[in-house]
This record gives sequence, C-alpha cells and structure tokens, in this order.
Amino acid sequence: MDQHMGVGAKEEDREEKRTVPEITLRPFTISDVDDFMTWATDDRVMRFSRRPTCTTKDECLTHMKDHIMPHPWCRAICIDDDGRPVGLVSVMPAPGADVHRASIGFDVAYDYWGRGVATAAVKKAASAVFEEWPLLERLDAVAEVNNTASQRVLEKAGFQREAVLKSYLVLRGESKDMIMYSLLSSNSLKVEEMNLLDSENNSRWMPGK
Amino acid sequence: MAEERREITLRRFDLSDLDDYMVWASDDRVTAFCRWDSYTDKEDLRRYMRETVLPHPWFRAVCLGGRPIGAVSVELGAGCDRCKGELGYALAAAHWGRGHATAAVKMAVRSVFREVEGLERVEALVDVDNKASQRVLEKAGFAREGVLRKSMVLKGRTRDLVMFSLISTDALVD
Repeated sequence: MDQHMGVGAKEEDREEKRTVPEITLRPFTISDVDDFMTWATDDRVMRFSRRPTCTTKDECLTHMKDHIMPHPWCRAICIDDDGRPVGLVSVMPAPGADVHRASIGFDVAYDYWGRGVATAAVKKAASAVFEEWPLLERLDAVAEVNNTASQRVLEKAGFQREAVLKSYLVLRGESKDMIMYSLLSSNSLKVEEMNLLDSENNSRWMPGK
Repeated sequence: MAEERREITLRRFDLSDLDDYMVWASDDRVTAFCRWDSYTDKEDLRRYMRETVLPHPWFRAVCLGGRPIGAVSVELGAGCDRCKGELGYALAAAHWGRGHATAAVKMAVRSVFREVEGLERVEALVDVDNKASQRVLEKAGFAREGVLRKSMVLKGRTRDLVMFSLISTDALVD
C-alpha cells in the first residue's frame, strides 16, 4: 500500500516496501552452519570481505567456532517466513578504551540481493547496538571504492560518507582504497523512525515533524 | 669545537633523555590535543620511556643541535592494517613556530617508508580545532581526506578528527 509513505518517497523505495519481507536478527548457533555455508563459500558475496571465502564445511565450522560464536555482537539475518539465516551482520567495538566507537559489517546470500535485506539488517543492528551500548556514539563502516552495492546499503541505512582513505587496508593481497562511512547515535533517531514506518506496513501514514 | 648545528635530526631515545623529555611531556600546552595527560612525576615518565618508548618499533627523538626537543612516532599495523602506520608527534612549546615539527615529520616519513617493508600509507588524525598541527601536515605534503566525526575521546569529550595521509608513491615526489 502506498498510503503509509510520506511525500517525496521515491518509486524504488515504494517497490522495496512492497517486496522486502520482515527480517529479524538473532544469535547464530552451530546448527546454522549449512545456511552459513550458502554465502560463506560464495565468491560473489565474499569477494570484498576481509575473510577468505570458505571452501569446505570444516572451514565454515572452524570460522563459526573461532570468530562467530565468541564475537561481541554477531547476528544471523533471518527472513521471517522460515527463520533460516540468509546473512550475517556484526558490530565490533573499537579496541582499547574507545567505548564510544564500533564498526559494522554484513554479508547477505546472493539469492537475497536486491530486496533491501542488507539495508534492513544494518538499520536494525544500528538501532540495537545504540540502545544496548549507551556509551556508543559512532558506528562506522568502510567499503572498497569498487563495492558500490555495499556503499548503497550504508547510504540507504542513513550512514554519512566521510572520506576516501587511500591504500587503507590489505585485501586479497593488495592495498585498497576504502570509503569511510559513519552513523552517529544522534542520527539514529532517524533510523528508529524508519523502523516505525517499516513495521507498520498496513497502518495509516504517520506524518513526520 | 665546531659550532653547534641548529638543524633537526632524528635518533632513538635513551633513558638519559628523561629530563629533556619531561620538558614537553609535563606541558599542558603540548598535551592539550594528546590522548594522554601531562606527566607530573618523572618516575612515571621514566617507566613510560622504559616500557613503551625504548622497545617501540618506531619512536624517535626530535633533536635540535643534538638535544631532544620533541618526539615523533609511527604506530605500525598488522594483518589487514599492515600497509599503514599512524603518525604522532609532540614538540616543546619553546620551539614552536619555526618549522621544526614540519621538518621532523618530513624526515620521519622518509625514514619509515624506507625502513618498513610493505608500508604504503602514513596517516595522522588531528583534532578539528588543532589548526597548528593541521598546518604542519599540509606543509609536510599530507593530503586532507575528510573529517571522521566523534572519532576520539579527548579529556572526556568525543571529538571530530581530520584524517590526513601520505602515500609512499606521493612521498617520493619531494
């Protein structure tokens, strides 16, 4: 239904609101390994990742045990109709005493691209960590200059582009130029408002301020 | 005896530099934009020199006529961060305004790119209000990449920082 959208909503956003299913975030369990393998072994998904693409189930199990299960904040992205993970979103606090800062990353299985899943997951994850960690003021993310899909996700999730950082990280054996994005806790109110709109698909349009 | 040379040189620190180090490390004007607070006890500074400065992979005394008037360091990364290092420096206030920090930064960058295998990027994060330090980096040839909002906690407040960088291929053009 279009009546819940505000004035000025783009055609493509209306399309997304009709087709994107409700997503939920939950912790991973080891029994998610088969679903995890779906994207973790897929070069199309992993090619911009810091982690190498897994090739075997054992590698996936090791990665889940060593990195995902002990992670400070890592969630499976689930589509409500059957609750199985179609991706991952994680938030890593900054090292040392910098409790005001954390970084976000995400992967979505290739078959679920183009439906707003990553954007919805990033918005939900951002809201959640800003609420769970009251000292958090800055959530940031870096995306390779060629990774326009991830840049689009961050922009739609309300992140602000801050800088192009040259030769910033070594990925796949070479230094890469990365774009730095950030979302501040003072901006995340906007994220909550967007979440309100997402979850009230069939209710009357609520006018903004 | 030859006339004292009044040019900037870099060398490793020694514990015997403690008194000279204390001059800038105890000065609030110098530490205003530093994460650390001014030292009040020389023994704390001696411990810092012994535990951090002396064993550090890249930490140098900035010397004028052979005596330390400041420090310059590069924090080197590992893993995915191995192509970059973060520059830091401090200079005694009595020697500000004469181009010594710029000279020290230029020398440090030349040396660290030559000495560290795989280093491609030296970056520096400077408080938006620290105009003097921004000028040092600009004069040393760094590029201003953007402002990282609320990046650092300084004296209890979150601060916006300006990101500067110098890439090894740019550094050769000097």
